[in-house]
Amino acid sequence: MKRILPPWVRPRTLIAVAAAAAILAILPLVHGNRYWHNQLTETLLAIATALAWNWLGGYLGQVSFGHAAMFGLGGFIAGRMQVSLGVPMIAAWIVAGVIAGLYALVWGHPTLRLRGPYFSIATIGVGEATRLICTYWVWLTGGSSGMSLPVQVQLKYQLYWYALALALVALAVSYALRRSPLGLALLAIKSDVDAAGDVGVSAVRLQDLVLFLSGMTMGVCGGFYASYYSFIEPGDMFGFARSISFVLMGVIGGIGTIAGPAIGAVIFVLLRNSLIATYPQLYLGLYGLLLIFVILFEPLGLTGLYVRILRRARPDLGVTGMAAEESAVPATGAGAARVEQREAK
Amino acid sequence: MTAVLRAEGLSKRFGGLKANDNVSLSLEKGQILGLIGPNGAGKSTCFAMLAGSIPPTSGRVFLGEQQITGLPAFRVARAGVVRTHQIVRPFANLTVIENCTVAAAQCSGRDDAGSRELAREMLRFVGLEKRRNGYPAGLTLAQRKRLEMARALSCAPKALLLDEVIAGVNPVEARDMVALIRRIRDEQGISILMTEHVMAAVMSLCEHVVVLDAGKLIAAGAPKEVVQNAAVIEAYLGKKHA
Repeated sequence: MKRILPPWVRPRTLIAVAAAAAILAILPLVHGNRYWHNQLTETLLAIATALAWNWLGGYLGQVSFGHAAMFGLGGFIAGRMQVSLGVPMIAAWIVAGVIAGLYALVWGHPTLRLRGPYFSIATIGVGEATRLICTYWVWLTGGSSGMSLPVQVQLKYQLYWYALALALVALAVSYALRRSPLGLALLAIKSDVDAAGDVGVSAVRLQDLVLFLSGMTMGVCGGFYASYYSFIEPGDMFGFARSISFVLMGVIGGIGTIAGPAIGAVIFVLLRNSLIATYPQLYLGLYGLLLIFVILFEPLGLTGLYVRILRRARPDLGVTGMAAEESAVPATGAGAARVEQREAK
Repeated sequence: MTAVLRAEGLSKRFGGLKANDNVSLSLEKGQILGLIGPNGAGKSTCFAMLAGSIPPTSGRVFLGEQQITGLPAFRVARAGVVRTHQIVRPFANLTVIENCTVAAAQCSGRDDAGSRELAREMLRFVGLEKRRNGYPAGLTLAQRKRLEMARALSCAPKALLLDEVIAGVNPVEARDMVALIRRIRDEQGISILMTEHVMAAVMSLCEHVVVLDAGKLIAAGAPKEVVQNAAVIEAYLGKKHA
């Protein structure tokens, strides 16, 4: 086992994930409930997007409010390739993903020089500009009336397993980016990009790499979404609400943690579907409230809550692993730096 | 003697301000070279140019025979010129040893396990080995300055640039720090360029000092001679004392 795997992979984690994946893979054959089948497919897709967002927003601390741009672009490119060129579905997803990743680099390479809120503001502009351009780019997107793909009931059922694979790949990348030696460099960039450069970390190259991976995964997810719903339109695909949903899933689950956003995605999908059913006018407002509450009381989301409970229940364990996450919250970092400055004076 | 790090006619303009004007200096192998001068003399600008943090307006920097002028900071660090910061900048979200491991992994050319080993060695060298699994937030200022040095040393540099590592710590810690700097040169053979306001430290550590004032080099020589130089006294204390 140890020979094949890099030293930073914990065999226990691998076995747990493999077991969970196996259960999820045979689950639909057992329950046969179409409603839950669709819910699970949606959730798995949401997990993949939340994790992909987190590579940039969590690991590097560059919170993007414009990730719907890559999601939408991937969706329309994959859709157009299937409808007009007859490209097979998977090939269309992959090409769309690569183009979405490259698109992310086109706007991200220059804007990633900005840090923190300035980067976030820039991504809002990018997201909205992409939405407007694509709304009027009728050749690609079909304009406001959207694009239809042929409806295939059998395929929609099978897409569950594709979504499962997508979520697993995203989880594997999340794990690798965080636990491999690269992960330390990413955290160093998040903490202090200039100091990271002074010890040899190439911030530009690593940020570009992470952004490309994130954008590409978003693009593939968009392609999946197009195949799954058979109808997509720019207002929804590129919508600001969609960008916000990626942020929200990350925040609920725990920004910057490996699996937190995946858990956040599960909660988010459950919440969204019940809220839309019960309060169709209010649910966006409720998102906002939720965001405020999480950031106020537990900036690390459910992961932070879990660690806090674990610490209280089992003080003997001496859980400290999450201290890294806690000090990674920007506010504390800046505070510490300020104290430092005073001491130095 | 051969120069490890050499600056030729470095100048830096910020708009109308000449922060550095035609500064040349040479750090010899195994030397501890002091760069001193009153506040605002341009020491930090000079450091930043040597370490690649900012590109010079004109002039050249050589590491041995290799020209490193205008390279980005991470390339300069990988080539072997590593700096510390006057106001310490630990990676707050990494443990003490991870702070050093990340540096070792990027610069030393070792693999994962080798980087961790080097990081631990350097922490032992500066006396922080016991603290390796804690976070920088739990360290005192003097310890953070040591961490800053251990992190730079983990890059296995040829030339180490120390930016006021003694200022701000108490006298006992300052004495230990002086001893540590000497050990870096004696035991690891790393050439050191340091700026420092604590003159006692400069006098005891440096064989040679260069003095900057208003961006220009005004004196160079052994510390004892330099502090009696009229131009230097004038720069620090004003004309009537010179």
